[in-house]
Amino acid sequence: MEKVPVKTNRAGEAAPGASPSKRTRGSRMARSQLRTAVIFLAPAVLAIALLRLLPFGEAVWDTLFKSEGFGVLAEEKFAGLENYVTLFTDVSFLQTLGRTVVFNLIINPLQIALAMAVSVLMTRKMFGRGLWRTAVFLPSTIPLVGSSVAWGIALRPDGPVNALLGLFGIGSQPFFTSSHQALASIILVASWIGIGHWMIFLIGGLNSVNQELYEAASIDGANGWRTFWSLTVPLMRRPLLFVLVADTVANFVLFVPMQMLTNGGPENSTTVLMFDVYQRTYTFSEPHIGAAATVVLTVIMIIIVSIQFRLLGERDK
Amino acid sequence: MTVLLTILAVAVSVLFVLPAVWMLFGSLAPGNSVISNVSPLSWHTLIPRKWTLSNYRELFGALGFLRPMFNSLFVTFASVAIGLALSAPAAYALAVVRFRGREVIFSLLVIGFMIPFEAIAIPLAHVFTDWNLDNTYVALILPGIGNGLAIFNMRQSFLGVPASLREAAVIDGASDFRILSRIYIPLNGTTMINSGLLIFMGQWTAYLWPLLIVSSDSKQIAAVALARTYTSSLFDFGQLFAAALVISIVPAVVLFVLQRHFSISIATSGER
Amino acid sequence: MKRATFLRGAAAMAAAATVSSCSSEGSGNKSSGKSDNWEIPQKDPTATITVVGQRAKSGTSGMDPVLKAFHKAHPTITVKYQQIPFKNLNSVLASRITDKTGNPDVFWTDQPRVAAYATKGYLADLTDQFGDLTSALVPTTVDACKFQGKLWSLPLGNSSQVLYYNPALLEKAGVKPPSADPAKRITWQQLAKDAKRVQDKGGAKYGMLFGQPNRYYQLEPLPASDGGGIGAKGKHNLTVDVNNPQWVETMNFYGSLFDKKISPKSITPEQTGPTFIAGHTGYFWHTQNWVTWITEQAKFEWGGGLTPVWEGGTPYTPTGSWGIGLNPYSKNKEAAAIFMKWLAIDGVGGFGKSMEWSIMPANKKGVEKYLASEPYTGSAGGKAAAKIIDYESKNTAQARVATVGYVEFETLIEEAFSDISNGTDAKKALDTAQQKITSAWKKYQ
Repeated sequence: MEKVPVKTNRAGEAAPGASPSKRTRGSRMARSQLRTAVIFLAPAVLAIALLRLLPFGEAVWDTLFKSEGFGVLAEEKFAGLENYVTLFTDVSFLQTLGRTVVFNLIINPLQIALAMAVSVLMTRKMFGRGLWRTAVFLPSTIPLVGSSVAWGIALRPDGPVNALLGLFGIGSQPFFTSSHQALASIILVASWIGIGHWMIFLIGGLNSVNQELYEAASIDGANGWRTFWSLTVPLMRRPLLFVLVADTVANFVLFVPMQMLTNGGPENSTTVLMFDVYQRTYTFSEPHIGAAATVVLTVIMIIIVSIQFRLLGERDK
Repeated sequence: MTVLLTILAVAVSVLFVLPAVWMLFGSLAPGNSVISNVSPLSWHTLIPRKWTLSNYRELFGALGFLRPMFNSLFVTFASVAIGLALSAPAAYALAVVRFRGREVIFSLLVIGFMIPFEAIAIPLAHVFTDWNLDNTYVALILPGIGNGLAIFNMRQSFLGVPASLREAAVIDGASDFRILSRIYIPLNGTTMINSGLLIFMGQWTAYLWPLLIVSSDSKQIAAVALARTYTSSLFDFGQLFAAALVISIVPAVVLFVLQRHFSISIATSGER
Repeated sequence: MKRATFLRGAAAMAAAATVSSCSSEGSGNKSSGKSDNWEIPQKDPTATITVVGQRAKSGTSGMDPVLKAFHKAHPTITVKYQQIPFKNLNSVLASRITDKTGNPDVFWTDQPRVAAYATKGYLADLTDQFGDLTSALVPTTVDACKFQGKLWSLPLGNSSQVLYYNPALLEKAGVKPPSADPAKRITWQQLAKDAKRVQDKGGAKYGMLFGQPNRYYQLEPLPASDGGGIGAKGKHNLTVDVNNPQWVETMNFYGSLFDKKISPKSITPEQTGPTFIAGHTGYFWHTQNWVTWITEQAKFEWGGGLTPVWEGGTPYTPTGSWGIGLNPYSKNKEAAAIFMKWLAIDGVGGFGKSMEWSIMPANKKGVEKYLASEPYTGSAGGKAAAKIIDYESKNTAQARVATVGYVEFETLIEEAFSDISNGTDAKKALDTAQQKITSAWKKYQ
C-alpha cells in the first residue's frame, strides 16, 4: 500500500535533543510521548484497521484470484494480474476512468468554491442566520433515495424546472435524457446536497480566523476581495485542506444519484468508476474484477489526495 | 447592510430549500397526486389541491416507522459518543504528540476513509455473522465509530492550538489526557460539533450495511424502512417524501441547535 | 485452492475453541445441501422460518394478512418475514446465502432469475418434493421456474398486459378504441397513428405511455412479435441476439414514439400509472395489476384492449412474475416446504386467497378467483380486461429469456432501451448491447 506523503506542522514545537547534554532527557521524553501516542491512538487505529483496512487488504488479495463456477459453488483459482489486464484492455473501462477524473476535476472545485461563498455570507451579521444556515444544510440531510426521486421528476423534459425556464424564455432542456447534459445535471443535484454539508466545516474554519486581522486589514484600506485572498484563504488552509480532501473522497465514491437517476446513461455518460464497481460487484456478480476496479479507484484517490496535501499542506516555518 | 445580507441569505436559502418544500407539499397531498400535478406547471404543481396527513398517519401507523426511527436515533447517538471518544485522543496524538511513525499512522487513517464501504460490505457481513453479531445494535454501531474523517478534521483543528499552551500545562504537571480534555476539546468546540456531525450523518444515512446485517425488523433502521415505502409494483410518492422528510428532520434540528455554539474560537487567535 | 480470509479465519478459530463447529471454513466446493433426502411431512413440525421478499409487510397489499392466514392454518410454524427492496434483493441474497447459515429459509425469486440463482447454488432443487404437485399451477409459470429439467422454485404470481385507454380522449379525437376481440387486434403501427391523433385532436398531453418504459419485460413483445426472438438463442440461451433486423426495426419504432413526443421521455415506471390516472393520457400499456388501481383511483371510465401486434407478425405478450425458492442451507426445510406449498399450491394458494387483488396468482384456481373479483366484474373496462388476460395468458404469453446470464442481459439491454428512448440510433445502441452482453457472458461459456 502506498503511503500518503504528509507534512505535519512542526512549527511551534521545541526541537528536542538540540544539545548533547539534553539527549538523555530527550529520549526519556520521546519514550513517554510514544506511550501517550500508543494509548491515545490504539482504540481508533484498531477500529479502523479491523473494520476498514484489513477487509480492504483482503479485497486487494482477492483481485489476484478468479472464480470457476458461481456463487456458493465457485472455486477460487490464482490468476495473478489477469483481472487488471482485463480491466485495462477494456476500452469502456478506460473511458469510465477518464470520465471519473473529469467529473471530479469539475465538481470538487465547484462545490468548494460555492460552499466557501455561502459560508462567507452565512458568517456575516444578519437576521435569523441560524435559520438560513439550516436551510442550506437541509438538502444534505434528506435521504438520497427521496431527493433523487424528487430531482428526477423536477428535471423531466416536461417537468417543473423546464416550465420555469420557459417563463424566462429559455427553451426546454433535456437534462438527464441527453448524454451532453446528464453528467452536468448529476453535478447540479450532488452540489445541491453537498454544498450545505461542506459549508458547516468552512463556517467552523471562518469563525476561527482572527477577527483582529480583519480589522487591521480594513484599516489598511484593503477591499473585501483582496482581504479574502490575502487573509482569509491562507488562514483557512487547514479547514480547506480537510474539506478539499473529504469532498474529493466523497465525490469519487459517489454513485447513488447515478444509480437512481440515469443508471449510468445515456450512452454511459454518467458511468463513473464507483458506479462501475457497484455494478460489477453486486449486479454482475464479478467480485474479483469489482475488487480490482476498487483498487484502481483507491490508487487514483491516493494520488490526488497526496497532491492536495502537497498543495495545501502545512509548511515548516 | 445587515438587511441586504439577510435578503441575499434568504434568496440562497430558498434555492436550497425549494425542492424540499415541494417534497413537503407532496407528502401532504393524497397518494400520488404529486405526480399527477407535475405537468403542466401551475400553482398545483407545488400546492396540493387537497391537504391530508394520511401519508404521515400511514407512516407511523401501518408502516411502523416509529421503531426504526428509535433504532436510528439510538445507533447514531451511540456512534457519535463512542466515535468522538475514540477520535479525539487519536487526533490529539497525531497533531500534538511527537513520535516515530506518526505520518505512517496518519496516512493509514486517510486511506482508511477512502475505502468505499460497498467494496468490503459483504465479506465484513460474513465476519459479523460468524461472530453472531448479526441483528445486534453492536453490529450497527461498530462500523461507524472508527471514523478517519473525524480524526482528520480534529487533527486539522488541533494543529492550530498554540504549542505554548501545552508547554505551560506540562510544566504545571498536567497529563496529556488532562491537556486534551481541559484545553484542546474546549478550545475546539466547533470542530468537535462538526466531527460529531460527520459521524452522525454517516450513521444516520447508512443503508447497505444495515440491510445486509439486520434481518429482524425489531432492529431495522429508518433509512431501510424508508426504502420499504415502495415496492416494485406499487410506488407511493407521497409516502416516500413523507418518510424522507421525517428522516431529515433530526439532523436538521440538531444542526439548528448546535450551530448557535459555532463560536469564534480563540485557539488560533494568537497563532505565531 | 481456497483463499484464507483472515478475519473469518479468526472467527472460525474462536468458534472452534468453544464448540467444534461443523460448518468449517475452507472445505471449498461442497455440493451444498442438495443431495440430502427430505420430504414434505404429513404432520406439521414446530419451527420458526425466515422469509425474505420484496413485498411490503404492512400497508396496502402487504404480507401481513397472508402470514396471519398461514399461522391460523399451521399454528406450530412461525414465519418471520422481512421486506428487502427489489433493487437490493440480489446483494442481500449474495451476502446471506453465501454465509451458509440457512437464513433466510425461503426467499422471493424473480422468475427469470431462477437460472442464475440455480447456477450460483442459491436454490435447493425442489423436483423430488414438488415435481408432482405443479399441475395446480399455470404451465408457463412452472416452466419459468425450471432450469435444465429441474424445478428450482414455485411460481406464486403471473402477469399479463392490457392496453388501457381513456375513452373520452379517444372519442374527442374520433379514434376507434382498441378491440378486446382477438380477431380485431390492432397493430403497433396503427396504435402510434391513433395515439398521435389523440394527442393532436383529442387534447391529450401524452399520446401513449409504456407502463414500464425501457424495461425488458415491457419491450420484449415488440421484436418477438416481429419475429426477432426474445434476445438470446442457442445452447442454454447463451448466444446474444439483440441486433438482428427485427430488433433494430422495432426499436427504431420505439425510439420514434419518444422522438415524435407521443410518449414523454424520462418518465420512470413508478410515475407512469399516476400520470395515466391523472387523465391526460390516451393509451397506457401495463400489467393487469393496474386494473385494480385505475378502478380505485381514476376519475374517468376507462377501457381495455388487447396488446397490439407488429404489422404482419404474431401477437406476443410478456408474462411471468414472482416465485419462492428454498435456501439449500436451510435448517428447516420441512417447515419451509409446508409454508411454500400452502402459499403456492394448496387450494387457490394461500397467496391468492389472502391477497386477491394485488397480484395475479400462478395457481389455476387462484386465477379463476382473481378474475371473478370486483375490479374485473364491476365495470365494462374490468370485464374486458378479464377476458383479455384469460386469452393472452393461454395464447400469446411469452416468458423472458431463460438464461444463467439473465441479470447481465436485463441490465445491459435496458441501458440500450433507455438510450434509444433518449434519441440514440437503435442500430448503434443494440450493437453496443450485443457486444457488451456477449462480453459479460464470456464467463458462462
